[in-house]
Amino acid sequence: MTPPLAGAATNRRRFLGLTGLSAATVASGGLLTACGEGGGSKGAADDTNKLSGVLPAQGKLPDGIPQPDIASTRPVPDGYKKYPSNLVDVISDKPGGSGKEISAMTPAWGPAPPGLGQNAYLTAVNDELGIPVNFSIQDGLTYADKLNAMLGARDVPELLCVPQWEVEKLPRFADAVEALFEDLTDHLAGDKVNAYPMLATFPTGAWQNAVWNQRLMAIPNPTDGPYPWGLFYRKDLLDAKGLTYPKSIDELLAIGKQVTDTKAGVWAFSDIFAMVQMFHKSPASETGWRLKADGTPEHKYETPEFKAALEVMARIYKDGLVHPDLAASKGGDMKKLMESGRILFMQDGIGAWQGMQAQQQKVTPSFNLQPVPIFSATGGDPLVWGDDKPISYTFVKKGVGKERVEELLRVVNWCSAPFGTKEWHVREYGVEGKHHTMTADGPVKTDLGFKEIANQYFFVSGRSPVVQPWPETPNYVSDLLTYSNEMVKFMETNPWDGIKLEFPATYKSQTVPYEDKITDIVRGRRPLTEFDGLVTEWKTGGGGNEARDFLAKARSDAGK
Amino acid sequence: MNNTRPVWEEKPTAVGLAGKGAVLTVMALVVLIPLWSVLVTSLSSRKTINDAGGMVMVPKGIDASAYVTIFSGGIVTRALWVSTMVTVAGTLVSLTLTVLAAYGLSRPGSVGHRTLLFFFLLTFLIYPGLVPSYLVVTGVGLKDSLWALILPSAISVFNLVVVRGFFQGLPDELLDSARIDGAGEFRILWRIVLPLSRPVIAVVGLFYAVGYWNVWFSALLYIDSNDKFPIQRILQSMILQGQSPNFSGQSLGSLPPTQAIKMAVVMVTVAPIVLVYPFIQRHFVKGVIVGAIKG
Repeated sequence: MTPPLAGAATNRRRFLGLTGLSAATVASGGLLTACGEGGGSKGAADDTNKLSGVLPAQGKLPDGIPQPDIASTRPVPDGYKKYPSNLVDVISDKPGGSGKEISAMTPAWGPAPPGLGQNAYLTAVNDELGIPVNFSIQDGLTYADKLNAMLGARDVPELLCVPQWEVEKLPRFADAVEALFEDLTDHLAGDKVNAYPMLATFPTGAWQNAVWNQRLMAIPNPTDGPYPWGLFYRKDLLDAKGLTYPKSIDELLAIGKQVTDTKAGVWAFSDIFAMVQMFHKSPASETGWRLKADGTPEHKYETPEFKAALEVMARIYKDGLVHPDLAASKGGDMKKLMESGRILFMQDGIGAWQGMQAQQQKVTPSFNLQPVPIFSATGGDPLVWGDDKPISYTFVKKGVGKERVEELLRVVNWCSAPFGTKEWHVREYGVEGKHHTMTADGPVKTDLGFKEIANQYFFVSGRSPVVQPWPETPNYVSDLLTYSNEMVKFMETNPWDGIKLEFPATYKSQTVPYEDKITDIVRGRRPLTEFDGLVTEWKTGGGGNEARDFLAKARSDAGK
Repeated sequence: MNNTRPVWEEKPTAVGLAGKGAVLTVMALVVLIPLWSVLVTSLSSRKTINDAGGMVMVPKGIDASAYVTIFSGGIVTRALWVSTMVTVAGTLVSLTLTVLAAYGLSRPGSVGHRTLLFFFLLTFLIYPGLVPSYLVVTGVGLKDSLWALILPSAISVFNLVVVRGFFQGLPDELLDSARIDGAGEFRILWRIVLPLSRPVIAVVGLFYAVGYWNVWFSALLYIDSNDKFPIQRILQSMILQGQSPNFSGQSLGSLPPTQAIKMAVVMVTVAPIVLVYPFIQRHFVKGVIVGAIKG
């Protein structure tokens, strides 16, 4: 399943199509092939279990970091309910020595923060680093377009952030990596990583994903949560109606009808198709694949579970249970509708929870957002989608010289200090009194903090992931980790676990167009009867069969 | 004698008038209601917006704090200034180049005008592609420069054809008489052709100005520094902020701007075009139609 950005990307693609720019986008994708000839167009698979000589040795957290309050089952991170009173200073030397400005590009969602020279947060962190880092902050929703052009033109900054979900969309990315970015293996493999002890604290699984063409090519930013989606509901509003969250698909539909009151301007749902698929146990590993009983890869489009989910979601739309603003387009403001009680259930990324609760409880004190525990629509244990792929990767520009690479890695190492350190605190919260105020429960960002801090350094680094406490929402860590640790028991097993896959180019490029067609069926713009024909067409024209062969070969090559 | 007149010359019936009025009213409302809602939302308090579910139709008091925020010297103010500069400079550059090129291509005796016109028209059919364009812009040192928003699209061939058509419609005798009086080509263009071409210049100028005001994709590709972002880049990131990805411990978006701020930015973005349009409108039909059907 595509991440939360898929909708926006699709909208823009359609917009570009209307304005005649789709040819440009296609051209850009095609021109990535200029990065070199190789296996990218046919796909590439790296067996990460054979990479022990390439991966960094696992290091331990610095001394003095407090023990977490809640221990979790991996890949769910541990959690802290209290902000540490004593922060550990783990890096005494300034990592920058040359004084030469570092160029970096990172994504941001929302208004871009002020740039170097006008941003006290950047000044403060750069002072700590001993070297200026000049960020080009690019809109996260159109990041792939910018990346396409930059990679095609071989024009990259010294530190480049590439989010995981963009990697999945960029054709022949492995070729681009080889042509444009520094091979970090000789700097970080094995015990060499000890020169950068913060990087050594990253989980090995995250490093495995940073390997391209059998070499360590990037620094991963480990994920702090495995689940792509949650179904959230307004507990305060359901409680007021004497209702509770649904525990079966029938209850979901019944509650949907019960709470939808078009005259009052209230509808039950946002688009919850991914969750409906999850309830039906439709597969999601590696963009929606699983193994049949005979060991053959099978895509979700070919499964009865997906078809059943499709029919249920189409019925939800047909019955008018989705807010019309959201049914009409993918760009409707779902969060605003949820906050105002115009919808009672929304499908969103898990991280939406804390931010919405913190903001909205100031306006509506009774506001209570909670996730619906995943259930099975077909009996037995539920199936929960999830993986532990990194959030993003930081690439180092090729050809900058050994000393510069080491300086860049020292900077990234400083930015990767874990929770509980002074470095992490400065990176996340800037300067006390300016960007945050300290409360008994921890730091709270000021308006200036929100304006100037946009995860700039976070996106050119990583950290040993934890769930941190938020003073505004004291119950959040417990609630989140209770839900996450309960759900992790049912997390889908990925048959290609340990194999890093880059799908064939045709399959990659056709994923979104076919998802658009499926969306048309769900929303009633195409009849349900077209689905079977669409799947047949997808197997050949959409690269489905090619992907199946590729996946089967990847497993057999890995000895699975 | 046959007094039958074509139906469009007949005096309209009351029903016909009412029907036209109704259709035009509906069309006007389709445009005005969303604009009204954007305006009212931009002037509403957070509670009013929350109660309304996002967009407000019925105002409950006026709260101008969103406008105060965006004009208080932040990134929106800067972006408005950037867009204004790009629009003014870009429109001047584009009009100058378009008029000069159109005049040359409209004179039958110009050297190589047919070949040149062919190359201009070829760009209608063949788009150079994203990466080659990017390579050219970075190669000539325009990356992260506001000129990157102007020069690559300085001449719109569509506008060039419209202006050329208009110029071709001017009586040759007029230009010949100026020539007999000793005027050179630049003087003819400046003293004779341009004063007679105000409608088409106004319309094409508006096309260019709207294009530069709305520039977004070029800024996405070529502008790296935040302080050089035009207003449409800021508007897009604000409007779509709700679609930021989320992870369990960390929401990656910064504090979202309130709905009122988003809508205030929409109003500020739309306002210049809405305000300028009525002054250009009287030239519109004449400018486009005349330029389009002659030549």
